[in-house]
Amino acid sequence: MKELIYLTYSEIKNKLNDGSLSSEDLVTAYLQRINSVDSKLKAFLEINQEKILKQAKESDVRRKSGKLLSEFDGIPIGIKDNICITGEITSCSSKILENFVSPYDATVITKLKEKGFVLFPRLNMDEFAMGSSTENSAFQTSKNPFDSERIPGGSSGGSAAAVAASMLPVSLGSDTGGSIRQPASLCGIWGLKPTYGRVSRFGLIAYASSLDQIGPFSNDMQGIIDLMEILSGIDSKDQTTAKVEHFESKSVSDIDWKGKKIGIMKTEDFNFSPDVNVRYLEILKSLEAKGAQLVPLDFSLLKYAIPVYYLIATAECSSNLSRFDGIRYGLRKETSGKLDDLYSESRSAGFGKEVKRRILLGTFSLSSGYYDAYYGKAQKARVLIRKQYAEFFKSVDVILQPTSPTTAFKVGEKTKDPIQMYQADILTTSVNLAGVPAISCPAGVDQNGLPIGIQLTTSHFDESKLLGFAKSLSNLDLCKVSLPKEIK
Amino acid sequence: MDEKELKNIANLAKLNIEENEISGMLSDFSRIVQYVDEIKNLDTSKVGDDEIYEQIFYELRKDLSENSLKREDLAKIAPSYENGYVVVPKVIET
Repeated sequence: MKELIYLTYSEIKNKLNDGSLSSEDLVTAYLQRINSVDSKLKAFLEINQEKILKQAKESDVRRKSGKLLSEFDGIPIGIKDNICITGEITSCSSKILENFVSPYDATVITKLKEKGFVLFPRLNMDEFAMGSSTENSAFQTSKNPFDSERIPGGSSGGSAAAVAASMLPVSLGSDTGGSIRQPASLCGIWGLKPTYGRVSRFGLIAYASSLDQIGPFSNDMQGIIDLMEILSGIDSKDQTTAKVEHFESKSVSDIDWKGKKIGIMKTEDFNFSPDVNVRYLEILKSLEAKGAQLVPLDFSLLKYAIPVYYLIATAECSSNLSRFDGIRYGLRKETSGKLDDLYSESRSAGFGKEVKRRILLGTFSLSSGYYDAYYGKAQKARVLIRKQYAEFFKSVDVILQPTSPTTAFKVGEKTKDPIQMYQADILTTSVNLAGVPAISCPAGVDQNGLPIGIQLTTSHFDESKLLGFAKSLSNLDLCKVSLPKEIK
Repeated sequence: MDEKELKNIANLAKLNIEENEISGMLSDFSRIVQYVDEIKNLDTSKVGDDEIYEQIFYELRKDLSENSLKREDLAKIAPSYENGYVVVPKVIET
């Protein structure tokens, strides 16, 4: 029999529901795994065993008394440290919120609690979700379970590493420019960024409000499909949630590739690592053999996506992070000076280097004399990117690209050069700018045994089709990835 | 971008930049600005201002008071709190 921690999300769900597994046994196995490997991987900022076990025991009591909350009752799920949970510290991996205890639940947390999930809070991340490696966390750098000298990606690196290292079956992250998809790709698991407006952002500590979306990581496709149904929906607390038909997991079915039009990119225009390039082309060839029609798309606008993303995201972050001023919550640096000094000293002591850099860039692009040339221009460029995606989906059913141009890089390899780090998200940022949904699926490993990911994208609110394609892609032998049992 | 301009931006953002951070910050910042300058090569003349807001589907909820956080919960998370108020340094010169 498979050890409990190596079960897929679907196997766990089935075993809990057929009575052959208790939530307490399962959670105990995960806690043991965390105790044995997380000192090396540093996915968790904190782990409160007592609180976690209490939830599992309560779930088992409900099961025994026939009062189950849902078919998901008792399933463990990890939570990124920027999603508020009542009574838990929610720090965004920042010193400015190091001791901030949330007085309320994010809407997604309310939904998970209503279903009976067992919450494992406080997964490490890049500070305020700004980064691609978790090296910008104020507290620790998470490591990649496939090679602990490498990063797990970011900003939701802790959420991805926890699932890839079999410390959890599923987790939540947030994605502003690729922060779910890129770590999912680098850690060999599934990670979804839903359409902007699908999932409530109430209780997600904001980085860039017009780009942020909460989404799931999972060790199988079913976890993504189930969580998509649970998390999405209109929320009166978030006016940007869209009035669209509710997503239902039963709407997803395997897709026959025959006759389907797949949008592809010319890889020679981008600097992919050879192994990523080869795997991408192998997958395309395999789908073509199944009857799919490959349609080359013009991604020339993509080279503007990162500059546009950084101008818009930093402008929004400079505004969003102005609330952290040492007055109502978070770090306060006592000063003998005036109110302005208290603001500046609290913010300077509380924010890390990359966060300061982005606040400054955003303030610069919004400031008098620069606004039109930078922020205003970026907003118009964003319209062009959105229109280009609309154009793409007139001629293709789905777009297939590598998620990340390389596999996981070494800790410290890109920290000296912010531009090089920003380019890690070259294939993911345009998706957030357009607001369309995209998922990263595992696609085998490179010569060093490091995971490669493939990103699929469809049009707005077309998650049913997106997840159908992802399910079919994941059935290919080329895409199989075995998660590591030993953490080296 | 020169030192004076960087300090002005930092002042607007309510951030202090230490003297020993200035040269590193300036060189990073100049490179990033040079990098985002790339968008100047993109022709956006056909995009109207109205199109920027096309994808926003705001529907405001009715202006009714709902249950909100309790004062005692806010007191717990405030750095300094007295008699229902958050305490800040004196702001009025006497």
